[in-house]
Amino acid sequence: MTTFEEKLQELIEQCRETIESVYSECNANAPNFGVSQEDFTGSISGSVSRFLCRGEEDLPSVSEVREFIESIKSDDLFLAIACAHGNERAWWEFDHQHRGYLERISRHLASTDLSAQEVIDHVYVELYGTRVVDGVRMSKFATYSGKGSIRGWLRTVIWHALVDFHRASHDEVSLDGMTENVGEGYTHSTFKNQDLGGEDQMIDRLSHEKYKKATLESIRSAFASLDDHEKLLLLYYHSEGLKLREIARLAEAPASPLRDWFQRRSKAREKNPSARIHESTIMRWLDKTYSIVMERFCERLTSVHSLGEKEIDICLELATRDLADPDVYKNLASNA
Amino acid sequence: MNNKGNNREELIREVLGGILRQSTSSVAFEDADHLDNDVMAAFVEGNLSEREAKPVTTHLVDCSFCRHKSAELVRLDLRFAEEQIEAPSADSEPAKVSDVLSGILGKIFGAGEGAVFAHQDDEAVEKKEKDEEE
Repeated sequence: MTTFEEKLQELIEQCRETIESVYSECNANAPNFGVSQEDFTGSISGSVSRFLCRGEEDLPSVSEVREFIESIKSDDLFLAIACAHGNERAWWEFDHQHRGYLERISRHLASTDLSAQEVIDHVYVELYGTRVVDGVRMSKFATYSGKGSIRGWLRTVIWHALVDFHRASHDEVSLDGMTENVGEGYTHSTFKNQDLGGEDQMIDRLSHEKYKKATLESIRSAFASLDDHEKLLLLYYHSEGLKLREIARLAEAPASPLRDWFQRRSKAREKNPSARIHESTIMRWLDKTYSIVMERFCERLTSVHSLGEKEIDICLELATRDLADPDVYKNLASNA
Repeated sequence: MNNKGNNREELIREVLGGILRQSTSSVAFEDADHLDNDVMAAFVEGNLSEREAKPVTTHLVDCSFCRHKSAELVRLDLRFAEEQIEAPSADSEPAKVSDVLSGILGKIFGAGEGAVFAHQDDEAVEKKEKDEEE
């Protein structure tokens, strides 16, 4: 019986030509990094297993693996492999090209009680690796796959190091407190209590409860029925406070899956697949998602809770007022 | 869309927005399996294929820690996007990384160079031994 490792090996073998071509190019660009083709192939094989294999029964096709290899930031990966092996020239190159950037990121993120330099030192030690397992030094560089740019990866490493530093210096700290103290943070806006005047008096407590329950259940159900990318869009916009241009940045890459999911049936996309994603595009995606939620919310209130048109309006109005109570609709996303 | 429809859509935005702003996750930092830095960075840069991004998206919906981290990284990405990548100057001498790291490690652990830095290549070790013999 063929094991998962054997199947994976077979896939890699079928892509050998692609790997060799990428390796030759990298080696020509940096011949003194001392990275062997075997090491390079080993690193790619690990990444294929991590990113593309969902289990023994769900292996990627050869063309998917080839596409994956071609999409890798190969020069960055080559540098990382060499640094993981402790190659002096590669470390010099890394230090020369990226230290300034690391310092700027760290200074930008570190709050007053955290020393940016301390974080940089800590990250350098992690990148080099001080732990030795079975005679092999565990360098953090070995965890970089080349799927994203090395600078993007370094940003993430610095961010995480800062969170670790913050946790180490604050024994008991909430998740929000921890993450809001690192970086630019965000503000939770509170919902304004709307005064609906006399209408409020018309609705007695019992029916208020009934509507509240129906609203909560229906909103939950409508949100849960969304696809994950739609949920994530709403969460980024409302919960994380990302601006439209920031979400656009996330979907900017021509191959971005977010872009694919939202524009799957778009004629404009078919005509120009790499067209820029503008803020107005994100607004349209949001509008579409709100429409889906509203449709399913109303449908649910009608079919499951047997409410009429007027009652649906009452539910919505009550819901806007109830949002002033932070406990009423808590954990919608985590319960979805 | 008629006025009633518009009004409802406005309200559903307010309601949904309000709910999501108030929503928190019960995922604890220590207990949960979070996305690793490599996957996170690739997602933020839009470098994952559909097959690769699907489980990541599902995780980000459920895990507020990773979602917040990814949002912060998007902000950082934009903030530093316009920075020019400085070209290394050709005339500068390569600093020995062993010196850089030994300095850092010595600062952290208070140990000497020899104790903390053990990766020197064979050539360097041979040269050192030869120098010592002489």
